[in-house]
Amino acid sequence: MNEAAITDLITRLADDALIIAHRNSEWTGLGPMLEEDIAFSSIAQDKLGHAQALYNILHTNFGQPDPDTVAFTRNEAQFRCCHLVELPIGDYAFSLIRHFLHDAAEWVRYEALEQSTVVPLAQLARKIKGEIKYHLFHAKTWVVQLGAQGNEESHARMQSALNETFPLALGMFEPSEFDGELAAAGIYPGEGQVQQRWLELIAPVLEQATLRMPLVEGADLAASYGGRKGYHTVHLQPMLNEMAEVYRIDPAAEW
Amino acid sequence: MTIQSLDPRITRAGIPSEDSRPLEPKEDLDQFETWEVFHQQKRGDFSEHVGSLHAPNAELALVMAKEQYARRFKCVGIWVVRTADILTLNTEDEDIFATNAEKKYRDAGGYRVGNRVSAFKQQQAQAKSEGAA
Amino acid sequence: MYGNLSIVDTPAGQQAADDPELLAAFEARIDRGEKIEPHDWMPAEYRRQLIRMIEQHAHSEIIGALPEGTWITRAPGFKRKMALMAKVQDEVGHAQLLYSAAETLGKPREAMIDDLLSGKSKYSNVFNYPALTWADTAVIAWLIDAGAIINQHTNAKGSYGPYCRALARICIEESFHLKYGYDNVVTLATGTPTQRAMLQEALNRWWGPIMHFHGPPDKVSQHTEKLVRWKVKMATNDAMRQEFLDTYVPKIWELGLTVPDPNLRKNEETGEWEFSDPDWDEFKRVINGDGPCNAERLAVRRMAEEQGRWVRQALRKPNHAYVAPLS
Repeated sequence: MNEAAITDLITRLADDALIIAHRNSEWTGLGPMLEEDIAFSSIAQDKLGHAQALYNILHTNFGQPDPDTVAFTRNEAQFRCCHLVELPIGDYAFSLIRHFLHDAAEWVRYEALEQSTVVPLAQLARKIKGEIKYHLFHAKTWVVQLGAQGNEESHARMQSALNETFPLALGMFEPSEFDGELAAAGIYPGEGQVQQRWLELIAPVLEQATLRMPLVEGADLAASYGGRKGYHTVHLQPMLNEMAEVYRIDPAAEW
Repeated sequence: MTIQSLDPRITRAGIPSEDSRPLEPKEDLDQFETWEVFHQQKRGDFSEHVGSLHAPNAELALVMAKEQYARRFKCVGIWVVRTADILTLNTEDEDIFATNAEKKYRDAGGYRVGNRVSAFKQQQAQAKSEGAA
Repeated sequence: MYGNLSIVDTPAGQQAADDPELLAAFEARIDRGEKIEPHDWMPAEYRRQLIRMIEQHAHSEIIGALPEGTWITRAPGFKRKMALMAKVQDEVGHAQLLYSAAETLGKPREAMIDDLLSGKSKYSNVFNYPALTWADTAVIAWLIDAGAIINQHTNAKGSYGPYCRALARICIEESFHLKYGYDNVVTLATGTPTQRAMLQEALNRWWGPIMHFHGPPDKVSQHTEKLVRWKVKMATNDAMRQEFLDTYVPKIWELGLTVPDPNLRKNEETGEWEFSDPDWDEFKRVINGDGPCNAERLAVRRMAEEQGRWVRQALRKPNHAYVAPLS
């Protein structure tokens, strides 16, 4: 068993899901229109469910504490999420572009995980496929609408959000010391391959949205790495403190 | 000064606590066109009207309809159609649907042959017994 | 979630007299227990009162998302975090359904939101109070939703088809809210001393607004016999308050919690609950804008509208035309 490798992989997946779910949930009740308010919040809620299910695999199969303890009592250094998900919600363009870039990666990851030799992970991947399909459908539709069917302002906001988030998005694929081991064991294809498929998935959508992928601009695009090793942006710890404010009144209590 | 709220999200939003700007009334169609939503609860069912929503185009109407009308209950399919494209005969013209009683000829209940068959059989039986006698 | 606001009702003013024949047919239809549908002829006063009522209900849902939303980033544990999100989403969803129902009567959503932001149109007073601690969200989800369910079940038997249809769906979702709230309250009530104290304090804070929830007593609220006949108003404020007390006070006491009203008791002879007269002056003050959170609630709604404006403007097409929902 490649226990350390598997635990690291699942923790990365779960932490990303938890943190982006939390961030996106901040729009609940404050969205740009009622219908979208419901949709975006419901997507965030799905992702919390994914995070819980992943922590549960760690708990049941790999001896980790229960999902609540893992999510609500760790500090930032113990988190393995990427920087992209940590940032505050920004304007709606920022949140939508982040949602698109992240969920496209999620789609690619879970598609690969359906074949994983870690059975509970493969089962979960198949179970949540439909939800992620909708999340990506939602994200793509908005990106294309505000990019290509909107006005100058919406295009500019989307492009600027894309420029800002792209290096952070590349950080989702921070290479892991376990990549080779995971691929060899048929658990997960590794971040390099996932990033390549991700680029193939997002490129046509951005083109349809008339948005320029920052990659081809030749600008300095240092991927924002570090998250997978426990080095985070200044935004994560305050967010964790806020999230656990009530829970930490008494972590032993039932809430 | 911005609003310091019990809700950290609101505090972060930096809303001015004294806002003297006049309210800008919403423009027409600020909330977009109206769409009607139909859903199919399970395979084999008819798709039924479940309500309406506002959306700027068909694609987003579909994206929104899925969450507003199918996030909680079982659903296998959903349709959206622009309300303006639906032709209706409404309840104010309900009388148009009135059916007169003499249209029994097109209802199953308008055909009662059982009695006649029984009477015929009885008659036949009687004729037979009379013939035999 | 919605209570009663009959105190702010203003008389209709000059309206053209209704055609007596049409009026008789309209009333006969209601007497037969049939529903009124959007394109039917209806008295102007019926339309006006329904728009006012459904619109206030819709506003109450969207503003009602704010006090509980206060704790959305801090809900303790996965189960509570997901459930609270689902609940606040439902409130927004209810607003969406109710605005649609009101729109069938001829007032576009744009106009309703304008009237909310300008203060011209009201919402349930209870949402002008703050959710100070996590326990407040538990009390809101249980008892405010319980009050709302009584109101909504009653109104669902009313005469206007689109409102009844919206309420039927809302009531199904509200029953989840009530269970969620009760579960939350029971967890705190049976938890640590700190949790229990937190809950009792929240209940103390919310009791006043809860007693206000169904509106002023019938003896002072403007009775409109016509609205009862037209099945717009389906039960009196006092009757709904009594139903609420009868169902929930025993459940509160059962948990060993106290209600901050020494005079609260059931009169076994009359079967009626007796209680200290709620502070109706405060109720009026808060409705008229002077509550602890009125300014913040409207400022937040305004911010959300303004923040989202560029999204809406980008996708608005000038060749489109506004059409009211079908039903």
